[in-house]
Amino acid sequence: MSRCWLALLDVPAADATAQAKAHHADGEPAGWLSVWRQRAKPVRAARRIDDRIVDPEGAAAWVSLVRPPDGMRLAFDDLAVQHARRRVLAEPPQDAVSTLLRDASHFEGAITVARGGGVARLVDDPFARIFPALILRVDAGVLGAVAAPAGPTIERYGSANPWPLDRFDADR
Amino acid sequence: MTIEPSPGQPFPDVDLLDHAGNRRRLSELAGGDPVVLQFFRGWWCPKEQVFFRRLLALQDEAEVAYSRIVSVSVDPPEVSAAFRAGLGARWTFLSDPDRSVQRALGLRETTDTLNDPYVPAVFSLFPDLRIHRAYDGYWFWGRPALEELRRDMREISAAIRADWTAPAA
Repeated sequence: MSRCWLALLDVPAADATAQAKAHHADGEPAGWLSVWRQRAKPVRAARRIDDRIVDPEGAAAWVSLVRPPDGMRLAFDDLAVQHARRRVLAEPPQDAVSTLLRDASHFEGAITVARGGGVARLVDDPFARIFPALILRVDAGVLGAVAAPAGPTIERYGSANPWPLDRFDADR
Repeated sequence: MTIEPSPGQPFPDVDLLDHAGNRRRLSELAGGDPVVLQFFRGWWCPKEQVFFRRLLALQDEAEVAYSRIVSVSVDPPEVSAAFRAGLGARWTFLSDPDRSVQRALGLRETTDTLNDPYVPAVFSLFPDLRIHRAYDGYWFWGRPALEELRRDMREISAAIRADWTAPAA
């Protein structure tokens, strides 16, 4: 199984597949948004994401990065997490979205990528109703755009996969 | 591109704008799942409004059942987006405002020369877009009941899911 990992780091990673500087809305540096395409977890803070949102040629973007407070996790099947997924499907699509996870049963945040008219809607990120969100501007070279989920599926295609990855592994 | 609405026949892999204005192929929207493909007259039709309530009931099951719903009309994307939002639908609406796909499929309702809408029709499809069943909804009772849609999704799922029979010991 291929995997893709994401972390917000203080300094750039030596072995990242792609990464770019991140800034807070007021322009203050927020670190580096780094991604790795590899099976092994690269750094302690890394969480798995839908591989499709990564694009080393991707343009600069604004993101809502939702992460739980330290030591807190929530079941992926929790009603609040289910409903956030419904809201994502109901609302106008953003450029890309992925939930964050480490294991098969816990929701550990989400990243939503916006450009153009979608940026203003980032403050209404449905996942930010569950855990706190950082609104960041990320430089070019790490995040792409993905066709919106077809809907109405809110389940993961295999419990070890992030949502909205929309099909089962070919060898399943 | 015309449709032979018989079981096993391929449905054309149409390419249209979605409710957000992005081009989408039917095969991409199907992914690897069974599909309920609905053609409807427009938001203004009372029969469609009733039938959409049936699809909304199906949505609450499809969201956990690895099945897709796609609705197609001649309404432009912004109208489809507003109608979809008002319904509370969470599936993809496709728009064919220039009626190019409608012409190619031969699905224009000829008795309504004011709106030139799609004739109401529903197809249950395999992920590879083969037709499982076709329903002619010109008369309301020709449309699939919720139980028929459930049956179609069950039959297709049983055929395509290698682990349909629960692994148990």
